[in-house]
Amino acid sequence: MSPDPQTLPAGTQRFVEALVAKLRRRQVVGSREAALETVLVLRQLVSKARFSNIEQLISLIRAVGRRLVEAQPKEHSVGNTVRKILHHIREEYNTASKGTASSSTKPVYSISTFVLQGQPRKHNVAPKSEATLSLKENDPDDPDSFARVLKPVLMEAIQDVLDELETVYDNVSKNAKDHIHSDEIVLTIGNSKTVESFLKGAAHYRNFTVIVAETGPSYGGHSMARALSSAGISTFLVPDSSIYAIMSRVNKVIIGAHAILANGGMFAITGSLLAATAARVHSTPVVVCAGQFKLTPLWNLYHDYGALDFADPSSVLGFEEGALVEKVDVLNPYYDYVGPELVDVFITNDGDHPPSSVYRLIKETYDDDDHEL
Amino acid sequence: MAPAPLLPVHPPNGPDPIVQPQKSQKQMTKAERRELQERQRAAKAAAKSAAGPAGNQGKGGAKPSAPPTPVPKKPGKSEALPKPPLTPGGRTKDRSASISEPAAGNARGLRIFSHFGLPKPVSVAKGDIHPAILRLALQFSNFKITGGNARCIATLTAFKTVIQDYTTPPNTTLSRHLMTYLSPQISHLVAARPMSVTMGNAIRQLKLEISGSDIDLPEQDAKNALFQKIDTYIRDRILIADQVIEETAGNKIKDGDVILTFARSSVVQKVLLGAHEQGRQFSVIVVDSRPMMEGKKLLSVLATAGIKCTYVLLPAVGAVINEVSMVLVGAHSIHSNGAVYSRAGTALVAMMARQHSVPVVVCCETYKYSESVQLDSFTKNELAPVGDQFCPFPLVKSPSDLTLQNRARLEILNPLYDLTPPTCITAVVTEVGVVPSNSISSIPIALGRLL
Repeated sequence: MSPDPQTLPAGTQRFVEALVAKLRRRQVVGSREAALETVLVLRQLVSKARFSNIEQLISLIRAVGRRLVEAQPKEHSVGNTVRKILHHIREEYNTASKGTASSSTKPVYSISTFVLQGQPRKHNVAPKSEATLSLKENDPDDPDSFARVLKPVLMEAIQDVLDELETVYDNVSKNAKDHIHSDEIVLTIGNSKTVESFLKGAAHYRNFTVIVAETGPSYGGHSMARALSSAGISTFLVPDSSIYAIMSRVNKVIIGAHAILANGGMFAITGSLLAATAARVHSTPVVVCAGQFKLTPLWNLYHDYGALDFADPSSVLGFEEGALVEKVDVLNPYYDYVGPELVDVFITNDGDHPPSSVYRLIKETYDDDDHEL
Repeated sequence: MAPAPLLPVHPPNGPDPIVQPQKSQKQMTKAERRELQERQRAAKAAAKSAAGPAGNQGKGGAKPSAPPTPVPKKPGKSEALPKPPLTPGGRTKDRSASISEPAAGNARGLRIFSHFGLPKPVSVAKGDIHPAILRLALQFSNFKITGGNARCIATLTAFKTVIQDYTTPPNTTLSRHLMTYLSPQISHLVAARPMSVTMGNAIRQLKLEISGSDIDLPEQDAKNALFQKIDTYIRDRILIADQVIEETAGNKIKDGDVILTFARSSVVQKVLLGAHEQGRQFSVIVVDSRPMMEGKKLLSVLATAGIKCTYVLLPAVGAVINEVSMVLVGAHSIHSNGAVYSRAGTALVAMMARQHSVPVVVCCETYKYSESVQLDSFTKNELAPVGDQFCPFPLVKSPSDLTLQNRARLEILNPLYDLTPPTCITAVVTEVGVVPSNSISSIPIALGRLL
């Protein structure tokens, strides 16, 4: 059976196309939003898909995943979510098929597979389903029997991914009070929901001050400052230009990420590089709050154009400056690449990690085969 | 957040806050007296805007004559805390009426900004202020005239008018009396906006010239001599200096260079235009940022002159710094330790340039030299007014997404300057030559201690 999306039921196909269009038109922005939408599409896909062996299902998901990723390559969380679901499906399949006679699929644990697979922390001994599922792949009499048996387990696995996404803010801010002390002065930029919930979480226990940089050209700092101040946190809103001036009195820089890369660097809203560099110059720690769905198996070593994504220049130099607009180039990149040397810690919904261990987290979270969808 | 336990910086006011103002002036600390004064001033301002509800006087009857306020007291003791000096005096009454109480509480959390110069409306002229000075003060406080050079030239020109209209009273001499006449004029200017280092240096020089003017000279001759001196100062220290800098810095620009500049400096503008006129092929990246967005002006000048320009906002500087061959910025003042005090954001640009091994060249006339040493941008700074009247946000941004006014627990700060440390500066181009930032203290010697 060919795995191309044409074999999808029409309803699912429409679902996929709708998200592709939304991603392309930038109607879905923000990594969590994109991840959530992706899970929903994939859940629909798995629940409706017809397959008689695991390879068919996986190639089906990969094809849809590829389509979604190509729609918006810079929205890394889409690909991450696909990879994560693939990983979970394989895991479920492995535990389910372990009980069956086909021992050939059973992974052999040796030091080499350990290194290759890199799953030292995964609890392989926690099967979600009883191992008595009678998995019969490629049953010629009843091609759907495989799917029928496996689907409930898979849906459960996808639901786990969805739950993780939905609780990500709570889990990131769980330990917020351990990172912020009383009367601390925290600098943040942009309008990251993760950082917002982190700071609000800490505000339950600590009394501190947040300085929010406006973060042009989106000026997301304005909404952030309002959200924080209405939560009772003493907030100061400053222009981006004064980050350096203020940094000498800042105790900690807390920023969000768009995608965390395998080398420990990250993509984050423009201005993050300025803030992180200024913090490094002043020896101020830089804390990055991000959900695990932002872990991206990608390497980026340079801050080059190719890695960035460019937004509408009219928010930098509006058309009200008509005569000027046609004479000059205007750049408005969405993201900055912040190297691992500028970040002190990633606070995720699964604990705190230094940039140097991100590659290991990625190995644990995704299967190596899926790095290229 | 739970009711914030605010820092009890001041002794609790006790059960009856009304008693507190009765405390005699001598018993108060300096800070307390200052706050009392602030409160009285605020109360007076509120009383003036009589349209506002009587509840305006929420400061707990700071002014003895104020009617007893019916404002319900919150249970917390912190409620009666006085309004700190941080709250801008110029805030409009609708804001102060509704949120001054929580804003005051908020500001208690962080007082490290309280020393920043605050934008205030031009005070009513005290004493005999010359109309030229009055107008100049308004232009300063409305940021119609900005930039070290422009402000210095405008001040000196205004002083020429003032001196021309001055007549020495009988029984005194011009060299002794003129300065006492000028002093209130200067204070009026300073009240409008803190004095720039350039103005300070120029005024010091002017004072020197006035006190040195010949007693036996007829008045008009003495004035003419002063005008001569002022014109020479403007010409030598600013205009000719700029020409020399324009030439020296222009020579550093090579064909194919990408020059990055931040905000707008009149000298940098001259350098770029000069180099372009000489036929050098280069492009310019103008980096800009709020609160002033001055780069747009530079951008339009350069683009009109036909220089290839790119415009980015400060946060995006990381994306373009790789292709830059030289950073060229201006300065507000330069300090003897080599630090450059300049428009806020310059330090960030210089820092990024240094990280990427791009030379940072500061164009700065020697009359901007200040003997003092500054260590950070915090001890001395100035705030731009809150709001968007000086620099509108892009139209695509809907005003509902923006925060343009102080709110409860939310304070907007717009520092105008920052200090670029000498380590981030490759060289300073002055009219006496190109000086590395660690030898800035030799400038007075190079000038033969002209300062």
